Formats: sequence, structure tokens, C-alpha cells
Amino acid sequence: MIHLGTMIAVHSYKGGTGKTLLSVNLAVSLLKHGRKVCLLDLDFRAPSLSSILKIDKTEHWLNDYLNETCKIDQALIDISDRFNSEGKLLIGLANPATEAIREMSAKDRKWEMRALGRLLSLKNSLLNAMDFDYLIFDTSPGLQYSSINAIVSADLVVVATTFDTSDIEGTNRMLRELYDLFEKKTEIVMNKVLHDVSSKSGREELQRKIKDMYKVPVLGMIPCFCDVSRAGGTFIFTQEKPEHTFSKIVNEIATKIEKM
Amino acid sequence: MVRQQEVFGKKPVRILDKIRESLEKLNEKMEIMIELHKTGRKDFQLLPDAPLDVMTLLSMPDHLRKTAMTVCRLGRATAEEVAEQTHRARAVESSYLNQLVIMGHLKKERKGRKAYFFVEKEDHG
Repeated sequence: MIHLGTMIAVHSYKGGTGKTLLSVNLAVSLLKHGRKVCLLDLDFRAPSLSSILKIDKTEHWLNDYLNETCKIDQALIDISDRFNSEGKLLIGLANPATEAIREMSAKDRKWEMRALGRLLSLKNSLLNAMDFDYLIFDTSPGLQYSSINAIVSADLVVVATTFDTSDIEGTNRMLRELYDLFEKKTEIVMNKVLHDVSSKSGREELQRKIKDMYKVPVLGMIPCFCDVSRAGGTFIFTQEKPEHTFSKIVNEIATKIEKM
Repeated sequence: MVRQQEVFGKKPVRILDKIRESLEKLNEKMEIMIELHKTGRKDFQLLPDAPLDVMTLLSMPDHLRKTAMTVCRLGRATAEEVAEQTHRARAVESSYLNQLVIMGHLKKERKGRKAYFFVEKEDHG
């Protein structure tokens, strides 16, 4: 029987919009819903998943999978036992060594073409053969090869953005000149929101404003939380502080994705 | 088809199949000639090196991108299989696929009556 899960690329125009924070917490939320999730760090320019999840050694990196020197299952690490849940979470890491970053940034077009083929084949190997429900790509910001490869492979693109003027302009350009051209289902997560979203009417008004701005559906609006910034990626909010508003909002985003 | 065979025997059916096959080949050759004419080239010399990477896909006209993306997703496909995905006519897809072959982005291989299109994957590099 064909089991087809969903490939999600979390992307943004600018750096620092909260892609990794959203990717990790979304993956844990889906795991808590009993889902089998795979989270892959495709930010080869600035790998961060290994540091957030405190894993400094692995037999194989995602770099090796894309270099065709290992299979995808060899590059995955099962961290499900960290969570008291029926769900599963396996992760694939980008190599944070300077030499590996340099090597990845020097790849030519032919290599990138084959890398796209390797990412597209994950639909069959991970979502079909290994029964994953969700495959989440955490990507580099902007128009990087690895990010566009992830976007092309994905079924859903989640764009993390903020109210920063240059971010809004850049995100709008990417919506029209990147995601639209590849006919991708795209949804916006507005992060670091400073508006009052405590009331239903406040949330609805802001949602309308964001929708008018981008003309695509709004998947979520996350207020700016000092304690999230203060945590600095030292722990996973949805795991350790499930009652925190941030965790609840990410949980709502996960539920919306499950209903798609 | 069975009734035809019953009435006329198998030979006429084989002849019709051959005619159809020849017409398809002729059609493909004409499409290639039209494309060569458009680009002002006289010879059927494929462009040697034109990887179908995402930046190339981005810079393509929309109608070709759709076809190229479908081949990327399917890995290897006939014009009919691509047409099923894009909901465009088989003949239209056949034309676009041949354009992509001429541009050097796709490779084409014949197996019996079917022509398969695929993105070239080199073993090394």
C-alpha cells in the first residue's frame, strides 16, 4: 500500500525569522500528536540543528547523503526516546564543520541537479517505504540552491516572516518569483508579532492585515516572546514548556497542517 | 481490435501499427525541425552541457518549466505520462519535451514504440 506523507519546507527571505525554532517545535508538536516525523537540516551554510539537539557526532551527515556516499537511513538519528510519546522523530544533520560548509558552498550546477534528484527521491524512500507522516526541511534563507531544491521537492512551503520592512518586500518577491513559479502551496507564519493578539478580534484583524500584505493563507501568528529569545535555542519549548503560549500556537499550526 | 483481427487477420493490424509508429516518428522529427528553425540552428546537434538545476528551471518559460518539473518528479516518463500529470494534450507535451531535449536539459531514449524522456544523471562528478 502506498503511504504518502507530506514534505514541508520551512523557508524565509531573511535570516533570523525563526525557521529553525519553528521547524524543531513543529516537528515535536507533530510527534506529540503520535506522528512519525523526519526533520532534516538543509541549512548547509549555517547548520544549527546539531547544536540545538546537542548532537555533535554522527556516522553520516546529510552532506554524505547528497554526496551519494550513504543512504538516507544511515544519515538519520532516532531521538524519539527523548520524548514521552507514541510518535517518532528522526533527524538528519548538516555538518557544521567549517570545511564541510566551504565544500558545500562550492558545489556546481550538476551536483545541485543531482541533489534535487536525491531530495525528490525522499518522497519514495522516507514517506512511502519508511512510512513517515511528515518530512520537514529546515532551509537556508533566501535564494540558495539547497533551499530552492527543498522548495521544489516540498508539498507545502511554510514561510517564516516578520514585520521588518525589507523582510516583507523580499518575502513578497519570493512569493511571486519563486514559490508561484513552482506552483507551490505556500502559507505564511508571521513571527515576532508585536501587535495585541490576546483577543479574538485583535487576532482576526492582524490576520486580515497579513493576508492583504501577502495574498496567501496565514498558517500562524507568533507573538514576540522574551523568554523564547532568552532561551536562545537551549531547549525545545513544545517539549519542556507545553503550556507556554508559544508552544500552544505551534501546536495549533501542527493541527492545521494535519488537517490539510 | 479483436473483431478487426477476426475479420481481416492480424496482418492489417500490424500494418496499421507500423503506420502509426512511423507517423509518430515523423511528427517528432517535424517538431525538432520546427524548434531548430525557431532557434536559427541548422543541425541537430544537442547542446552538450545544460544541467536541469533549479536556477535553470526558474529562468525557463512557464510552459516548459511545468513539463521539466514533471519529468524531474517522475524520473523517466513518456509524453503521455507527462500529459496525464500536467492535464495538457499529449502532442503539446511531446513538443515541449523535444524542445527540452534540443536545449540539452533532457535525454531521450526509444524502447520499442515508446519514447522515454529523463534527466541525465552522470555516474560521477
